[in-house]
Amino acid sequence: MMTHAYAPLRHAFRYGSSALSAAALAALMAAGPVAAAEPGSAAKQAADLAAGKADDPVVLKAPAPNARRVYVYDPKHFAAISQSFIIDGDTARVLGTADSGFMGNPIVASDGSFFGHANTVFSRIARGKRTDYVELLDSRTADPIADIELPNAPRFLVGTYPWMTALTPNNKTLLFYQFSPQPAVGVVDLAGKKFDRMIEVPDCYHIFPSSNDTFFMHCRDGSLLKVSIGADGKSQTKRTEIFHKENEYVINHPAYSPKNGRLVWPTYTGKIFQVDLSSQEAKFLPAIEAFTEAEKNDGWAPGGWQQVAYHRDSDRIFLLGDQRAASKHKAPSRFLFVIDAKSGKRLSKIELKHEIDSVGVSQDAKPQLYALSTGARTLFIFDPETGKEMSSVNQLGAGPQVITTSDM
Amino acid sequence: MRVLVLAATLAALSAGAALAAGALEVVPEAPAGSTEVKIAKMKFATPEVRIKAGSAVTWTNTEALPHNVHFKPGGSVDKELEGPMLRSNQTFSVQFNTPGTYDYICTPHPFMKGKVVVE
Repeated sequence: MMTHAYAPLRHAFRYGSSALSAAALAALMAAGPVAAAEPGSAAKQAADLAAGKADDPVVLKAPAPNARRVYVYDPKHFAAISQSFIIDGDTARVLGTADSGFMGNPIVASDGSFFGHANTVFSRIARGKRTDYVELLDSRTADPIADIELPNAPRFLVGTYPWMTALTPNNKTLLFYQFSPQPAVGVVDLAGKKFDRMIEVPDCYHIFPSSNDTFFMHCRDGSLLKVSIGADGKSQTKRTEIFHKENEYVINHPAYSPKNGRLVWPTYTGKIFQVDLSSQEAKFLPAIEAFTEAEKNDGWAPGGWQQVAYHRDSDRIFLLGDQRAASKHKAPSRFLFVIDAKSGKRLSKIELKHEIDSVGVSQDAKPQLYALSTGARTLFIFDPETGKEMSSVNQLGAGPQVITTSDM
Repeated sequence: MRVLVLAATLAALSAGAALAAGALEVVPEAPAGSTEVKIAKMKFATPEVRIKAGSAVTWTNTEALPHNVHFKPGGSVDKELEGPMLRSNQTFSVQFNTPGTYDYICTPHPFMKGKVVVE
Protein backbone atom coordinates (compact mmCIF):
# COMPACT_ATOMS: atom_id res chain seq x y z
CA MET A 1 0.00 0.00 0.00
CA MET A 2 1.16 3.48 -0.76
CA THR A 3 1.32 4.72 2.79
CA HIS A 4 2.98 7.98 1.87
CA ALA A 5 1.13 10.53 -0.12
CA TYR A 6 3.43 10.95 -3.09
CA ALA A 7 1.87 8.51 -5.52
CA PRO A 8 -0.35 10.39 -7.96
CA LEU A 9 -1.57 7.34 -9.90
CA ARG A 10 -5.25 7.11 -10.58
CA HIS A 11 -5.17 3.34 -10.48
CA ALA A 12 -3.60 1.62 -7.55
CA PHE A 13 -2.38 -1.77 -6.54
CA ARG A 14 -1.99 -2.62 -2.93
CA TYR A 15 -1.10 -5.54 -0.75
CA GLY A 16 -2.23 -6.36 2.72
CA SER A 17 -2.40 -3.49 5.11
CA SER A 18 0.62 -1.62 6.27
CA ALA A 19 -1.30 1.28 7.75
CA LEU A 20 -1.23 -0.06 11.26
CA SER A 21 -0.54 2.15 14.21
CA ALA A 22 2.55 1.71 16.32
CA ALA A 23 0.38 0.50 19.17
CA ALA A 24 -1.13 -2.18 17.00
CA LEU A 25 2.30 -3.22 15.83
CA ALA A 26 3.53 -3.46 19.38
CA ALA A 27 0.52 -5.54 20.29
CA LEU A 28 1.14 -7.88 17.38
CA MET A 29 4.80 -8.15 18.26
CA ALA A 30 3.84 -9.24 21.70
CA ALA A 31 1.11 -11.51 20.43
CA GLY A 32 3.02 -14.15 18.57
CA PRO A 33 5.90 -15.50 16.54
CA VAL A 34 6.92 -13.58 13.46
CA ALA A 35 8.98 -16.23 11.72
CA ALA A 36 6.12 -17.45 9.49
CA ALA A 37 4.91 -13.98 8.66
CA GLU A 38 3.79 -13.45 5.07
CA PRO A 39 5.23 -10.52 3.15
CA GLY A 40 3.34 -7.34 3.77
CA SER A 41 1.58 -8.67 6.86
CA ALA A 42 1.47 -6.85 10.17
CA ALA A 43 3.66 -9.57 11.68
CA LYS A 44 6.26 -9.08 8.96
CA GLN A 45 6.20 -5.35 9.55
CA ALA A 46 6.56 -5.87 13.25
CA ALA A 47 9.55 -8.14 12.65
CA ASP A 48 11.10 -5.55 10.33
CA LEU A 49 10.55 -2.89 12.95
CA ALA A 50 12.08 -5.05 15.66
CA ALA A 51 15.08 -5.72 13.43
CA GLY A 52 15.55 -2.00 12.92
CA LYS A 53 14.83 -2.19 9.19
CA ALA A 54 13.93 1.19 7.69
CA ASP A 55 10.54 1.70 6.10
CA ASP A 56 10.99 2.09 2.36
CA PRO A 57 7.70 3.06 0.67
CA VAL A 58 7.29 1.89 -2.90
CA VAL A 59 4.49 1.61 -5.44
CA LEU A 60 3.73 -2.08 -5.56
CA LYS A 61 3.22 -4.35 -8.53
CA ALA A 62 0.71 -7.14 -8.61
CA PRO A 63 1.94 -10.66 -9.28
CA ALA A 64 1.59 -11.96 -12.83
CA PRO A 65 -2.08 -12.60 -13.54
CA ASN A 66 -3.30 -16.18 -13.50
CA ALA A 67 -6.61 -17.93 -14.09
CA ARG A 68 -7.78 -16.89 -10.62
CA ARG A 69 -7.38 -13.19 -11.28
CA VAL A 70 -10.91 -11.80 -11.02
CA TYR A 71 -12.12 -8.35 -11.97
CA VAL A 72 -15.27 -7.06 -10.32
CA TYR A 73 -16.82 -4.02 -11.97
CA ASP A 74 -18.98 -1.65 -9.95
CA PRO A 75 -21.14 0.68 -12.08
CA LYS A 76 -22.22 2.26 -8.76
CA HIS A 77 -25.90 2.32 -9.66
CA PHE A 78 -25.38 4.59 -12.72
CA ALA A 79 -22.94 7.01 -11.05
CA ALA A 80 -20.78 9.18 -13.32
CA ILE A 81 -17.58 7.55 -12.05
CA SER A 82 -17.29 3.78 -11.63
CA GLN A 83 -14.62 1.42 -10.34
CA SER A 84 -13.09 -1.99 -10.94
CA PHE A 85 -11.67 -4.16 -8.16
CA ILE A 86 -8.79 -6.43 -9.07
CA ILE A 87 -8.92 -9.54 -6.93
CA ASP A 88 -6.71 -12.55 -6.43
CA GLY A 89 -9.12 -15.47 -6.10
CA ASP A 90 -6.52 -17.71 -4.45
CA THR A 91 -5.98 -15.41 -1.49
CA ALA A 92 -9.34 -13.60 -1.71
CA ARG A 93 -7.55 -10.27 -1.51
CA VAL A 94 -7.99 -7.04 -3.38
CA LEU A 95 -4.81 -6.41 -5.35
CA GLY A 96 -5.85 -3.03 -6.60
CA THR A 97 -8.50 -0.83 -8.09
CA ALA A 98 -9.01 1.01 -11.36
CA ASP A 99 -11.26 3.99 -11.95
CA SER A 100 -13.50 4.30 -14.95
CA GLY A 101 -16.22 6.58 -16.19
CA PHE A 102 -19.97 6.40 -16.75
CA MET A 103 -21.25 2.89 -17.48
CA GLY A 104 -17.83 1.53 -18.44
CA ASN A 105 -17.48 -1.77 -20.20
CA PRO A 106 -14.72 -3.85 -18.60
CA ILE A 107 -12.50 -6.04 -20.75
CA VAL A 108 -9.61 -8.37 -19.96
CA ALA A 109 -7.12 -9.86 -22.41
CA SER A 110 -7.40 -13.61 -22.90
CA ASP A 111 -3.76 -14.00 -21.85
CA GLY A 112 -4.28 -11.71 -18.85
CA SER A 113 -1.66 -9.25 -20.08
CA PHE A 114 -3.92 -6.22 -19.87
CA PHE A 115 -7.34 -5.18 -18.75
CA GLY A 116 -9.30 -2.01 -19.28
CA HIS A 117 -12.55 -0.32 -20.05
CA ALA A 118 -14.49 1.37 -22.78
CA ASN A 119 -15.26 4.59 -20.96
CA THR A 120 -17.33 7.73 -21.05
CA VAL A 121 -16.42 10.94 -19.21
CA PHE A 122 -17.79 14.47 -19.26
CA SER A 123 -15.93 17.77 -18.85
CA ARG A 124 -18.12 18.74 -15.87
CA ILE A 125 -18.52 15.39 -14.07
CA ALA A 126 -21.94 14.46 -15.45
CA ARG A 127 -22.52 17.19 -18.06
CA GLY A 128 -20.54 19.27 -20.54
CA LYS A 129 -18.46 17.83 -23.35
CA ARG A 130 -18.69 14.07 -23.61
CA THR A 131 -15.63 11.99 -24.42
CA ASP A 132 -15.77 8.27 -25.16
CA TYR A 133 -12.49 6.37 -25.12
CA VAL A 134 -10.92 2.98 -24.61
CA GLU A 135 -8.33 2.71 -21.87
CA LEU A 136 -6.05 -0.29 -21.52
CA LEU A 137 -4.17 -0.87 -18.29
CA ASP A 138 -1.16 -2.99 -17.48
CA SER A 139 -2.29 -5.99 -15.44
CA ARG A 140 0.62 -5.72 -12.97
CA THR A 141 0.88 -1.96 -12.46
CA ALA A 142 -2.58 -0.70 -13.52
CA ASP A 143 -0.75 2.01 -15.44
CA PRO A 144 -2.42 3.12 -18.69
CA ILE A 145 -0.82 1.54 -21.76
CA ALA A 146 -3.28 2.91 -24.31
CA ASP A 147 -5.88 5.67 -24.43
CA ILE A 148 -7.85 5.64 -27.66
CA GLU A 149 -10.56 8.22 -28.27
CA LEU A 150 -13.80 7.16 -29.98
CA PRO A 151 -15.15 9.90 -32.28
CA ASN A 152 -18.73 11.24 -31.99
CA ALA A 153 -19.52 9.65 -28.60
CA PRO A 154 -20.69 6.34 -30.10
CA ARG A 155 -20.90 4.18 -26.95
CA PHE A 156 -24.20 2.62 -25.93
CA LEU A 157 -24.85 3.76 -22.35
CA VAL A 158 -26.61 0.84 -20.70
CA GLY A 159 -26.46 -1.28 -17.56
CA THR A 160 -23.24 -3.24 -18.06
CA TYR A 161 -23.63 -6.16 -20.45
CA PRO A 162 -20.22 -7.79 -20.85
CA TRP A 163 -20.76 -8.78 -24.48
CA MET A 164 -21.57 -5.24 -25.63
CA THR A 165 -17.80 -4.70 -25.79
CA ALA A 166 -15.50 -7.54 -26.78
CA LEU A 167 -11.93 -8.36 -27.72
CA THR A 168 -10.99 -10.51 -30.69
CA PRO A 169 -9.13 -13.74 -29.74
CA ASN A 170 -5.72 -12.19 -30.55
CA ASN A 171 -6.50 -9.23 -28.24
CA LYS A 172 -5.59 -6.83 -31.04
CA THR A 173 -9.05 -5.47 -31.81
CA LEU A 174 -11.82 -4.19 -29.57
CA LEU A 175 -15.40 -4.16 -30.82
CA PHE A 176 -18.10 -2.09 -29.16
CA TYR A 177 -21.81 -1.65 -29.78
CA GLN A 178 -23.59 1.54 -30.83
CA PHE A 179 -27.36 1.67 -30.35
CA SER A 180 -28.25 5.16 -31.54
CA PRO A 181 -28.70 6.71 -34.09
CA GLN A 182 -28.43 3.32 -35.75
CA PRO A 183 -27.14 -0.10 -34.75
CA ALA A 184 -23.44 -0.35 -35.48
CA VAL A 185 -20.28 -1.96 -34.18
CA GLY A 186 -17.17 0.15 -33.66
CA VAL A 187 -13.80 -1.34 -34.51
CA VAL A 188 -10.84 -0.19 -32.41
CA ASP A 189 -7.34 -1.17 -33.48
CA LEU A 190 -5.63 -1.81 -30.15
CA ALA A 191 -2.36 -2.84 -31.76
CA GLY A 192 -2.21 0.42 -33.76
CA LYS A 193 -3.79 2.34 -30.85
CA LYS A 194 -6.43 3.98 -33.03
CA PHE A 195 -10.14 3.96 -33.75
CA ASP A 196 -10.72 2.22 -37.06
CA ARG A 197 -14.36 2.49 -38.20
CA MET A 198 -18.02 1.85 -37.52
CA ILE A 199 -19.70 -1.12 -39.16
CA GLU A 200 -23.40 -0.59 -39.78
CA VAL A 201 -25.44 -3.63 -38.83
CA PRO A 202 -29.15 -4.52 -38.86
CA ASP A 203 -31.16 -4.40 -35.63
CA CYS A 204 -28.94 -6.87 -33.80
CA TYR A 205 -27.34 -6.73 -30.35
CA HIS A 206 -24.26 -8.05 -28.50
CA ILE A 207 -20.90 -8.99 -30.01
CA PHE A 208 -19.40 -12.48 -29.88
CA PRO A 209 -16.06 -12.62 -31.71
CA SER A 210 -15.45 -16.10 -33.13
CA SER A 211 -12.18 -15.24 -34.88
CA ASN A 212 -9.97 -12.20 -35.32
CA ASP A 213 -12.14 -10.91 -38.18
CA THR A 214 -15.54 -12.51 -37.52
CA PHE A 215 -18.17 -11.90 -34.90
CA PHE A 216 -21.77 -12.88 -34.28
CA MET A 217 -24.71 -10.83 -32.99
CA HIS A 218 -28.23 -11.66 -31.87
CA CYS A 219 -30.97 -10.02 -33.89
CA ARG A 220 -34.42 -8.77 -33.03
CA ASP A 221 -36.05 -11.38 -35.27
CA GLY A 222 -34.49 -14.25 -33.26
CA SER A 223 -31.65 -15.06 -35.66
CA LEU A 224 -27.91 -14.60 -35.27
CA LEU A 225 -25.95 -12.32 -37.59
CA LYS A 226 -22.50 -13.31 -38.78
CA VAL A 227 -20.31 -10.29 -39.52
CA SER A 228 -17.04 -10.68 -41.43
CA ILE A 229 -15.06 -7.52 -40.73
CA GLY A 230 -13.07 -7.61 -43.99
CA ALA A 231 -9.54 -6.25 -44.27
CA ASP A 232 -10.53 -3.93 -47.13
CA GLY A 233 -13.03 -2.09 -44.96
CA LYS A 234 -15.96 -3.83 -46.61
CA SER A 235 -17.82 -5.91 -44.09
CA GLN A 236 -20.17 -8.72 -45.00
CA THR A 237 -23.15 -9.89 -43.00
CA LYS A 238 -25.22 -13.06 -43.12
CA ARG A 239 -28.21 -14.08 -41.02
CA THR A 240 -28.72 -17.57 -39.58
CA GLU A 241 -32.02 -19.32 -39.14
CA ILE A 242 -34.35 -18.02 -36.42
CA PHE A 243 -33.47 -20.14 -33.40
CA HIS A 244 -35.97 -19.04 -30.78
CA LYS A 245 -39.60 -18.04 -30.71
CA GLU A 246 -40.77 -14.47 -30.20
CA ASN A 247 -42.06 -15.27 -26.69
CA GLU A 248 -38.80 -16.94 -25.61
CA TYR A 249 -36.98 -14.03 -24.01
CA VAL A 250 -33.23 -14.58 -23.95
CA ILE A 251 -31.40 -12.77 -21.15
CA ASN A 252 -28.99 -9.83 -21.53
CA HIS A 253 -26.10 -11.74 -19.98
CA PRO A 254 -25.35 -14.87 -21.98
CA ALA A 255 -22.10 -16.73 -21.31
CA TYR A 256 -19.65 -16.98 -24.17
CA SER A 257 -16.38 -18.87 -24.34
CA PRO A 258 -14.27 -17.42 -27.18
CA LYS A 259 -11.79 -20.30 -26.84
CA ASN A 260 -14.28 -22.92 -27.99
CA GLY A 261 -16.87 -20.64 -29.52
CA ARG A 262 -19.65 -21.77 -27.21
CA LEU A 263 -22.52 -19.40 -26.66
CA VAL A 264 -24.78 -20.34 -23.74
CA TRP A 265 -28.00 -18.36 -23.72
CA PRO A 266 -30.78 -18.95 -21.16
CA THR A 267 -34.33 -17.63 -21.39
CA TYR A 268 -36.45 -16.19 -18.58
CA THR A 269 -37.83 -19.68 -17.90
CA GLY A 270 -34.48 -21.52 -17.86
CA LYS A 271 -34.51 -22.96 -21.35
CA ILE A 272 -30.87 -22.80 -22.42
CA PHE A 273 -29.92 -22.33 -26.07
CA GLN A 274 -26.38 -23.29 -27.01
CA VAL A 275 -24.60 -22.33 -30.21
CA ASP A 276 -21.21 -23.56 -31.35
CA LEU A 277 -19.48 -20.76 -33.28
CA SER A 278 -16.05 -22.44 -33.45
CA SER A 279 -16.30 -23.23 -37.18
CA GLN A 280 -17.20 -19.58 -37.96
CA GLU A 281 -20.70 -20.81 -38.74
CA ALA A 282 -23.47 -21.06 -36.15
CA LYS A 283 -24.23 -24.65 -35.19
CA PHE A 284 -27.30 -24.78 -32.96
CA LEU A 285 -27.05 -27.47 -30.29
CA PRO A 286 -30.14 -29.07 -28.74
CA ALA A 287 -31.73 -26.74 -26.18
CA ILE A 288 -31.67 -27.71 -22.50
CA GLU A 289 -34.31 -27.15 -19.85
CA ALA A 290 -32.74 -26.16 -16.51
CA PHE A 291 -35.97 -26.76 -14.62
CA THR A 292 -38.61 -29.48 -14.75
CA GLU A 293 -42.22 -28.59 -15.47
CA ALA A 294 -43.00 -29.23 -11.78
CA GLU A 295 -40.25 -26.83 -10.70
CA LYS A 296 -41.46 -24.17 -13.13
CA ASN A 297 -44.95 -24.55 -11.69
CA ASP A 298 -43.41 -24.01 -8.26
CA GLY A 299 -41.95 -20.71 -9.46
CA TRP A 300 -38.37 -21.77 -10.18
CA ALA A 301 -36.69 -19.57 -12.76
CA PRO A 302 -33.30 -17.98 -13.44
CA GLY A 303 -32.70 -14.50 -12.07
CA GLY A 304 -30.03 -11.91 -11.36
CA TRP A 305 -27.55 -9.98 -13.50
CA GLN A 306 -24.86 -12.32 -14.85
CA GLN A 307 -27.09 -15.34 -14.39
CA VAL A 308 -24.99 -17.88 -16.23
CA ALA A 309 -21.36 -18.99 -16.42
CA TYR A 310 -19.75 -21.69 -18.55
CA HIS A 311 -16.64 -23.75 -17.77
CA ARG A 312 -14.98 -24.77 -21.01
CA ASP A 313 -12.84 -27.74 -19.91
CA SER A 314 -15.59 -29.55 -18.05
CA ASP A 315 -18.33 -28.34 -20.45
CA ARG A 316 -20.48 -27.26 -17.51
CA ILE A 317 -23.10 -24.57 -17.16
CA PHE A 318 -23.68 -22.69 -13.89
CA LEU A 319 -27.08 -21.03 -13.66
CA LEU A 320 -28.45 -18.82 -10.88
CA GLY A 321 -32.02 -19.74 -9.99
CA ASP A 322 -34.64 -19.29 -7.33
CA GLN A 323 -38.37 -19.31 -6.77
CA ARG A 324 -39.65 -15.96 -7.95
CA ALA A 325 -42.68 -14.15 -9.24
CA ALA A 326 -42.89 -13.53 -12.96
CA SER A 327 -41.07 -10.34 -14.05
CA LYS A 328 -38.66 -10.62 -11.11
CA HIS A 329 -35.90 -11.83 -13.41
CA LYS A 330 -33.40 -9.20 -12.24
CA ALA A 331 -33.81 -10.05 -8.54
CA PRO A 332 -30.94 -12.06 -7.00
CA SER A 333 -30.97 -15.83 -6.56
CA ARG A 334 -30.00 -18.01 -3.61
CA PHE A 335 -29.23 -21.17 -5.56
CA LEU A 336 -26.89 -22.27 -8.30
CA PHE A 337 -27.66 -25.09 -10.70
CA VAL A 338 -24.72 -27.00 -12.18
CA ILE A 339 -25.65 -28.54 -15.52
CA ASP A 340 -23.76 -30.78 -17.92
CA ALA A 341 -23.83 -28.80 -21.16
CA LYS A 342 -23.76 -31.87 -23.39
CA SER A 343 -26.49 -33.99 -21.81
CA GLY A 344 -28.43 -31.21 -20.12
CA LYS A 345 -28.37 -33.27 -16.92
CA ARG A 346 -28.38 -31.39 -13.62
CA LEU A 347 -25.23 -32.34 -11.71
CA SER A 348 -25.90 -30.43 -8.51
CA LYS A 349 -27.84 -27.66 -6.87
CA ILE A 350 -25.76 -25.45 -4.61
CA GLU A 351 -27.41 -23.45 -1.87
CA LEU A 352 -25.39 -20.23 -1.92
CA LYS A 353 -26.92 -18.88 1.31
CA HIS A 354 -26.55 -15.32 0.01
CA GLU A 355 -28.56 -13.15 -2.37
CA ILE A 356 -26.41 -13.54 -5.48
CA ASP A 357 -26.72 -11.35 -8.57
CA SER A 358 -23.81 -12.49 -10.73
CA VAL A 359 -21.88 -15.67 -11.23
CA GLY A 360 -18.50 -16.33 -12.82
CA VAL A 361 -16.07 -19.23 -12.99
CA SER A 362 -12.29 -19.45 -13.37
CA GLN A 363 -11.24 -21.50 -16.39
CA ASP A 364 -8.53 -23.63 -14.76
CA ALA A 365 -8.82 -27.39 -14.25
CA LYS A 366 -10.23 -27.13 -10.72
CA PRO A 367 -12.22 -23.96 -11.08
CA GLN A 368 -13.31 -21.47 -8.48
CA LEU A 369 -16.86 -20.29 -8.61
CA TYR A 370 -17.44 -16.56 -8.09
CA ALA A 371 -20.77 -15.43 -6.70
CA LEU A 372 -21.26 -11.68 -6.43
CA SER A 373 -23.86 -10.00 -4.27
CA THR A 374 -24.67 -6.46 -5.39
CA GLY A 375 -26.66 -5.81 -2.21
CA ALA A 376 -23.96 -7.13 0.15
CA ARG A 377 -21.20 -5.71 -2.10
CA THR A 378 -19.34 -8.95 -1.55
CA LEU A 379 -17.73 -11.56 -3.78
CA PHE A 380 -18.17 -15.07 -2.38
CA ILE A 381 -15.77 -17.72 -3.63
CA PHE A 382 -17.07 -21.30 -3.80
CA ASP A 383 -15.71 -24.71 -4.67
CA PRO A 384 -18.20 -25.78 -7.33
CA GLU A 385 -17.43 -29.47 -6.75
CA THR A 386 -18.43 -29.48 -3.08
CA GLY A 387 -20.65 -26.41 -3.15
CA LYS A 388 -18.71 -25.10 -0.15
CA GLU A 389 -18.05 -21.39 0.36
CA MET A 390 -14.26 -21.03 0.64
CA SER A 391 -13.73 -17.31 1.15
CA SER A 392 -15.15 -13.90 0.42
CA VAL A 393 -14.11 -10.34 -0.38
CA ASN A 394 -16.28 -7.52 0.94
CA GLN A 395 -16.56 -3.73 0.59
CA LEU A 396 -16.61 -3.90 -3.20
CA GLY A 397 -17.89 -0.42 -3.91
CA ALA A 398 -21.52 0.65 -4.11
CA GLY A 399 -23.24 -1.80 -6.44
CA PRO A 400 -20.81 -4.33 -7.94
CA GLN A 401 -22.40 -6.27 -10.80
CA VAL A 402 -19.93 -7.70 -13.28
CA ILE A 403 -17.36 -10.49 -12.90
CA THR A 404 -14.64 -10.83 -15.54
CA THR A 405 -11.97 -13.54 -15.73
CA SER A 406 -9.66 -14.64 -18.52
CA ASP A 407 -9.47 -18.08 -20.06
CA MET A 408 -5.69 -18.45 -20.25
CA MET B 1 -56.16 31.84 -21.13
CA ARG B 2 -56.82 33.32 -24.57
CA VAL B 3 -53.84 35.58 -24.19
CA LEU B 4 -51.69 32.57 -23.41
CA VAL B 5 -52.98 30.66 -26.43
CA LEU B 6 -52.34 33.66 -28.66
CA ALA B 7 -48.83 34.02 -27.31
CA ALA B 8 -48.17 30.35 -27.96
CA THR B 9 -49.45 30.67 -31.52
CA LEU B 10 -47.25 33.67 -32.17
CA ALA B 11 -44.27 31.79 -30.79
CA ALA B 12 -45.06 28.84 -33.04
CA LEU B 13 -45.43 31.11 -36.05
CA SER B 14 -42.15 32.87 -35.45
CA ALA B 15 -40.43 29.50 -34.90
CA GLY B 16 -41.95 28.30 -38.17
CA ALA B 17 -40.73 31.37 -39.99
CA ALA B 18 -37.26 30.87 -38.60
CA LEU B 19 -37.22 27.24 -39.74
CA ALA B 20 -38.64 28.06 -43.16
CA ALA B 21 -35.20 28.94 -44.40
CA GLY B 22 -34.11 25.32 -43.88
CA ALA B 23 -34.89 22.23 -45.89
CA LEU B 24 -37.11 20.86 -43.14
CA GLU B 25 -39.89 22.97 -41.68
CA VAL B 26 -42.02 21.79 -38.80
CA VAL B 27 -45.60 22.84 -39.45
CA PRO B 28 -48.14 23.12 -36.63
CA GLU B 29 -50.81 20.87 -38.10
CA ALA B 30 -51.25 18.63 -41.11
CA PRO B 31 -51.54 20.94 -44.14
CA ALA B 32 -54.02 20.13 -46.90
CA GLY B 33 -52.65 17.49 -49.25
CA SER B 34 -50.01 16.32 -46.82
CA THR B 35 -48.80 12.73 -47.22
CA GLU B 36 -49.83 10.42 -44.35
CA VAL B 37 -47.46 7.98 -42.64
CA LYS B 38 -49.03 5.87 -39.94
CA ILE B 39 -46.94 4.41 -37.11
CA ALA B 40 -48.03 0.99 -35.83
CA LYS B 41 -46.52 -2.23 -34.49
CA MET B 42 -43.04 -0.71 -34.11
CA LYS B 43 -42.97 0.33 -37.76
CA PHE B 44 -43.47 3.28 -40.05
CA ALA B 45 -46.25 1.73 -42.10
CA THR B 46 -45.04 3.45 -45.29
CA PRO B 47 -41.29 3.42 -44.80
CA GLU B 48 -40.64 5.29 -48.06
CA VAL B 49 -42.77 8.13 -49.41
CA ARG B 50 -42.21 10.36 -52.45
CA ILE B 51 -43.40 13.96 -52.41
CA LYS B 52 -42.90 17.19 -54.32
CA ALA B 53 -40.72 19.94 -52.86
CA GLY B 54 -42.81 22.30 -50.76
CA SER B 55 -45.31 19.66 -49.66
CA ALA B 56 -45.56 18.01 -46.26
CA VAL B 57 -45.63 14.63 -44.54
CA THR B 58 -47.77 13.98 -41.47
CA TRP B 59 -46.97 11.13 -39.13
CA THR B 60 -49.67 9.70 -36.88
CA ASN B 61 -48.86 7.29 -34.07
CA THR B 62 -51.67 4.75 -33.86
CA GLU B 63 -50.42 2.70 -30.90
CA ALA B 64 -49.97 3.22 -27.16
CA LEU B 65 -46.18 2.95 -27.35
CA PRO B 66 -44.73 6.45 -27.93
CA HIS B 67 -42.74 7.03 -31.13
CA ASN B 68 -41.19 10.01 -32.88
CA VAL B 69 -39.52 11.07 -36.09
CA HIS B 70 -35.83 11.92 -35.86
CA PHE B 71 -33.69 13.28 -38.71
CA LYS B 72 -29.96 13.05 -37.99
CA PRO B 73 -27.41 15.22 -39.81
CA GLY B 74 -26.04 13.54 -42.94
CA GLY B 75 -27.11 13.19 -46.54
CA SER B 76 -29.75 15.81 -47.34
CA VAL B 77 -30.23 16.66 -43.65
CA ASP B 78 -27.94 19.52 -42.67
CA LYS B 79 -29.47 20.23 -39.28
CA GLU B 80 -30.74 17.68 -36.76
CA LEU B 81 -34.49 17.55 -36.26
CA GLU B 82 -35.70 15.44 -33.35
CA GLY B 83 -39.49 15.42 -33.30
CA PRO B 84 -41.47 15.17 -30.06
CA MET B 85 -42.60 11.77 -28.80
CA LEU B 86 -46.09 11.11 -30.14
CA ARG B 87 -48.62 9.34 -27.97
CA SER B 88 -51.52 7.44 -29.43
CA ASN B 89 -53.32 9.45 -32.17
CA GLN B 90 -50.96 12.42 -31.95
CA THR B 91 -49.51 13.78 -35.18
CA PHE B 92 -46.36 15.55 -36.36
CA SER B 93 -45.96 17.33 -39.70
CA VAL B 94 -42.87 18.42 -41.60
CA GLN B 95 -42.79 20.43 -44.82
CA PHE B 96 -39.89 19.56 -47.14
CA ASN B 97 -38.64 22.60 -49.05
CA THR B 98 -35.63 21.18 -50.86
CA PRO B 99 -35.37 18.11 -53.10
CA GLY B 100 -33.34 15.24 -51.70
CA THR B 101 -33.59 12.01 -49.72
CA TYR B 102 -34.30 12.39 -46.03
CA ASP B 103 -33.66 9.33 -43.81
CA TYR B 104 -35.15 9.23 -40.37
CA ILE B 105 -35.51 6.94 -37.35
CA CYS B 106 -37.48 6.76 -34.12
CA THR B 107 -35.14 7.94 -31.33
CA PRO B 108 -35.74 5.17 -28.75
CA HIS B 109 -36.31 2.51 -31.46
CA PRO B 110 -33.47 3.07 -33.95
CA PHE B 111 -34.43 -0.09 -35.84
CA MET B 112 -37.56 1.82 -36.96
CA LYS B 113 -36.40 3.52 -40.14
CA GLY B 114 -38.09 5.60 -42.79
CA LYS B 115 -37.29 7.75 -45.78
CA VAL B 116 -38.84 10.75 -47.50
CA VAL B 117 -37.79 11.30 -51.11
CA VAL B 118 -38.45 14.90 -52.16
CA GLU B 119 -38.53 15.56 -55.89
